[in-house]
Amino acid sequence: MSTPPRIDVRDLVVRYGETAAVDGVSFAIAPGELVTLLGPSGCGKTTTLRSIAGLETPSDGSIKISGRTVYSRRERWNVPSEKRGVSMVFQSYAIWPHMTVFENVAYGLRVRKVPAAEIADNVARVLDMVQMRGFADRPSSKLSGGQQQRVAVARAIAFSPNVLLFDEPLSNLDAKLRAEMRVELRELQRRLDITSLYVTHDQEEALAISDRVIVMNGGKIEQIGSPEAIYNRPVSRFVADFVGSANMIAGQVRGPGPDGTLLFETEGGIKIEVIAPANGDTSGTVVALRSSYIHIGHVSGSHNAVNGTIHRRMFHGDFIQYVVDWPAGQLIVRRPPTELFEEGSSVTVSFAPLHCVLL
Amino acid sequence: MSSFGFRGWVMPLLLLVCGGLVLYPLAFLIIESLNIGDPQSFPPEELGLANYLELFEEPRVITNTLLVASIATVLAVLFGFIQAWILTRTIIPGRDRLERLMELPYYMTPLIGALAWGVLLGPKTGLINQVWQSTGWTSDFFNIYTPWGIAWVMALFEGTVAFVMISASMKSMDPSLEESSRVLGAGKLRTALKITLPLVAPGVLSATIFVFSEMLGSFAAAFVLGIPGRFFVVTTAIWEATLSFPPDYGRAAAMGLSLFGAMVLTLGCARLIMRHGSYTTITGKAFRPRAMEVGAMRFPLMTIAWGYIIVAVILPLGALLLTSMERFATVIIPQMQFTLANYETALRMGSLAPAFANSLILGVSVATLGVPTIGVLAWIIYRSRVPGRGLMEFVIMIPAAVPRLVFGLGLLWAWINIPIPIYGTLWLLGIAYFTVFLPLGLRTIAGVVLQVDPSLEECARVCGASWGYQMRTVTLPLLRPGLVAAWLLIFIASVRELGVSIFLMGPNSKVIAPAIVNSWLSSSSELSAAMALMQTAMVFVAVAILFRVARRVTGAPA
Amino acid sequence: MRRLAPRVLSVVAACLLATAARAAESCANPHQMQGFKTCADIGTAEREGGLVVYSTDPEAASESVLAEFHALFPKINTTYFRLQGGALYAKLLAERQGQAYLADITQLSDMSFAFDFQKRGGYMRYISPELAAYKPDYRSTPDGYWTWGALVVAGIAYNPNLVPADEAPRNWPDMMNPKWADAISVKVTISGLQHTTWYMLRQLYGNDFWKNLAPSKPHAFDSYVQQFDRLVNGQDKVAVTAQYSGYLLMKAKGAPVEFVYPPDGLIATPQPWGIVKEAPHPEAARLFMDWFLGAPGQTVNARFQCDYSARDDVDPPPGGAKSSTFKLLTPTDWKAFEQSHAAYVREWDKLTGMR
Repeated sequence: MSTPPRIDVRDLVVRYGETAAVDGVSFAIAPGELVTLLGPSGCGKTTTLRSIAGLETPSDGSIKISGRTVYSRRERWNVPSEKRGVSMVFQSYAIWPHMTVFENVAYGLRVRKVPAAEIADNVARVLDMVQMRGFADRPSSKLSGGQQQRVAVARAIAFSPNVLLFDEPLSNLDAKLRAEMRVELRELQRRLDITSLYVTHDQEEALAISDRVIVMNGGKIEQIGSPEAIYNRPVSRFVADFVGSANMIAGQVRGPGPDGTLLFETEGGIKIEVIAPANGDTSGTVVALRSSYIHIGHVSGSHNAVNGTIHRRMFHGDFIQYVVDWPAGQLIVRRPPTELFEEGSSVTVSFAPLHCVLL
Repeated sequence: MSSFGFRGWVMPLLLLVCGGLVLYPLAFLIIESLNIGDPQSFPPEELGLANYLELFEEPRVITNTLLVASIATVLAVLFGFIQAWILTRTIIPGRDRLERLMELPYYMTPLIGALAWGVLLGPKTGLINQVWQSTGWTSDFFNIYTPWGIAWVMALFEGTVAFVMISASMKSMDPSLEESSRVLGAGKLRTALKITLPLVAPGVLSATIFVFSEMLGSFAAAFVLGIPGRFFVVTTAIWEATLSFPPDYGRAAAMGLSLFGAMVLTLGCARLIMRHGSYTTITGKAFRPRAMEVGAMRFPLMTIAWGYIIVAVILPLGALLLTSMERFATVIIPQMQFTLANYETALRMGSLAPAFANSLILGVSVATLGVPTIGVLAWIIYRSRVPGRGLMEFVIMIPAAVPRLVFGLGLLWAWINIPIPIYGTLWLLGIAYFTVFLPLGLRTIAGVVLQVDPSLEECARVCGASWGYQMRTVTLPLLRPGLVAAWLLIFIASVRELGVSIFLMGPNSKVIAPAIVNSWLSSSSELSAAMALMQTAMVFVAVAILFRVARRVTGAPA
Repeated sequence: MRRLAPRVLSVVAACLLATAARAAESCANPHQMQGFKTCADIGTAEREGGLVVYSTDPEAASESVLAEFHALFPKINTTYFRLQGGALYAKLLAERQGQAYLADITQLSDMSFAFDFQKRGGYMRYISPELAAYKPDYRSTPDGYWTWGALVVAGIAYNPNLVPADEAPRNWPDMMNPKWADAISVKVTISGLQHTTWYMLRQLYGNDFWKNLAPSKPHAFDSYVQQFDRLVNGQDKVAVTAQYSGYLLMKAKGAPVEFVYPPDGLIATPQPWGIVKEAPHPEAARLFMDWFLGAPGQTVNARFQCDYSARDDVDPPPGGAKSSTFKLLTPTDWKAFEQSHAAYVREWDKLTGMR
């Protein structure tokens, strides 16, 4: 990174008793980036976020925000939360029920002793941004979930922080609202150009809004990369499985294939062309193949084509999911709703070597 | 939860102060319990375990205590459970009013209750017994001067505490758990027995244990109803031991500490059970329990609910009223003569007005100073990560396990030997009350603190608020309803307090409860009845005023 | 019984000492107030402004007594503190041990307490000009430490509605009659009055006297209030060690109680009154002592407390018979009385089912 990172985490360890919730995590976030920590519950993503916020005290490592060390084990340095200049949107929104919307949003400004006129301006501005104009004098106990969420965001940005932290802010909303809000949040973040660290277990959300995604599992980082890189080139079984829908095909590498591919023989004897992982390690015994990258029906020019039978069909609205029996077991295939095939019919499934990632 | 910039000296200082308040008198008690020489000399000349060994040679007092406490606990929990059930789970007319009335027995003290029940169910001539005998029975309906009688009176007054605890746990139950049972075809009774009961069981269990530990240390009922029949429990035996000369302080202290041991065991069990059980009911999500329609059963249930109020409040007050207006205390109807002279005497007594004033002053001061202090302590113990907070909680809860009468003795020795001249003043009583009510305050406020979602406070901190600003703008306002409740509880407890006051009173620091006892012992029952009613009236009025004020302070219906 | 020679010697010695002492400590020109003489300086007493009395007497009555004193000296605010017998003494000692001096005047309900307190140097020595009205037996040796401020008299009481007069007990031994079984009350072991009763009746009737009471299973109570309440309510028929003052008070209220004056004599327990050495209001205390021991104070005390005075020139309590009409039984050898305490506790505890 040419510009210094806004958030710089090095070798972060957070231990509770014997177990390490976060076990040696390092990453850096550039100014203006929205990076998501993605993983199942218990993987340490929330703990990492809270450590950056100052709400948890790590056991080892260091954290720097805007170049300033806010935590360092070696230097025995720990800046309290209220002095770190970060802002946070909580999963439960944490809207104070005994204050009005205005007072909630103005809180951070009041703490910083901003003059009253400026507070009023700021509050109006951010409420506008989250489409809550006119709600300023409403008592906050009378808001719906979605409204509380917007107020929480407004509150978080009101005092123009350098860093914005999101702790699963959308997980309590229904699916439609979630989809809408995620777009709005991304828009807001882009517009204000605030460095953001976002935590979620929803991989769809992570892929949709992030500049980069950090996949975590068991306290460690599995992979860091852009959403496309994570999706198309998972480096481990976990990442392949967790992000998007993937088929895991077991087998062995038999040797090099044409155009820089590798020949992979599946259990069941099918030979397919796959690509090697970035580190060049050819000892892997599993190939990950995304359901959406499998075509049904013959596509010209594709190298891997196998015959199979449609076992099951499920209509998901935006796509149809097929379970296809093929010599190496079963494949999950996702196709646009226009491609209808009957259960029991024989089909050819084909896929490009580029989409078969050796793990 | 997190650590924040707490200076290193704050916790040790707090521990020192709390430890001093609580442990210093306890130390005196322990030393004195080992005193087998001259009880008047301090420090003791000879030390030994003889006092404890004597206790086990004559376990009658201990078995009496356990017997009465057990019966009383079973009764109290039964009353509390039935009332809680009727008032939170069923729909009967006048439910809200009944729920408010359930607070009344708490304002009356067991002392007053015992005096009143003596009038109602004294052998042969209690009012109820007279009515019973007039219908043709020759023996008593019931003799209140028995262990069962003592347990009955204790249970009536402690029943409201059980009611509050059990109904709180019933209210926080997720109604969908019962609804799913009903949808699957189980009737109301089956649902109640198979679903509701087991779910409420932890709440009932913790109420039982709490009530039992209170019963172990109960004094007033056993004093009025037990001593005449030479039935002693540990607290009254301690009282008798201190009355003789030379006072058997060693024996008294040993008995008190044995009780302490028993209560620590009981409360320890409670903690273990509660840890296994559900802290998960306290999530801040308030369920609205759906009460059952009961149809024709409405009126019988309502009768039962009102029955408790009548038996616990109206009957005793009526009996006292009757006695206070008699020329000489009698329950034999042909003998009764009426007069208001007792009230005149009581009002004329120079010491009574100061006693009332002192009790009020103490109640207001201790509550006003105690609540914010305990509030901060509760926050530190349950919300911070400051090291040593577990120890702090333990120290603060110690006075709950020492019977107040015994703690009063310890406080007397502790403070009389300190060069600060507070002995004989209201300050000493104030400090003593504060020490003794720490557990009560902590328990009440802790309940509220635990219900506040920590993210509300964390958010304030992340927004840049210092600890003080956060407490002031977020935490305290959210805790306000609970703090008000704690204030009222401590106020009432101070006004009622007998055990501690008896030993620490001085000529210029008289308070009501011991004055009533004194009067009952030395002047006359009618005068005591008049004084008791005046005290009850005063408490009722004070509480009514405070409720009004509280409503305005919280800005919401209290 | 009495040993005359050493007794005469001691009395003579006491008188000599007392005279010498009086010459040294009582004042030369006592003030003549209305009805009593005082050596105290009234101006100083009024400047002190307060007086604290520690006593075992019932509160309402004591306050009335003190109110009379206050009416005479309005600048002196009187405060009264009550505790039961041993507890009062224990509190007094505990306070002194902690050097908290709150009490000016103390009344103790047991002579052994008075002796003990005198031995510990707890009393202030003050020769009141009113002491002359008290027989030497009624004063401390040497004079001026404590004096008998009242006599608590006890006999037998019964409820005439339940017990017709001809069936009532007539003398002490009648209480052993099995017809009173489970309907007779006495006082508890810690009662000084009860100790005196036990001691004196043994002297009269022999050491085995009380054994015959055991089959009747007497109920024991802390206070006469409880005894008389039960009598009135028919829970007991007879009260032994029934305080005469209690009887008078109940009768005045119209309650159905009657009193028996045993021809062998009524028990009388003295109440020793004295000034505490480090009294916070010493001059006011001396003034009070003079008033209290004088005729006005004694009259007021008799009227409100319904106890008898040790002075001859004071009327009996309202409704009470003149003291000349009955015999009073009081221990004379206080040392022997004190030493009997342990035996008394053992026997009485067993009798009342305590141990």
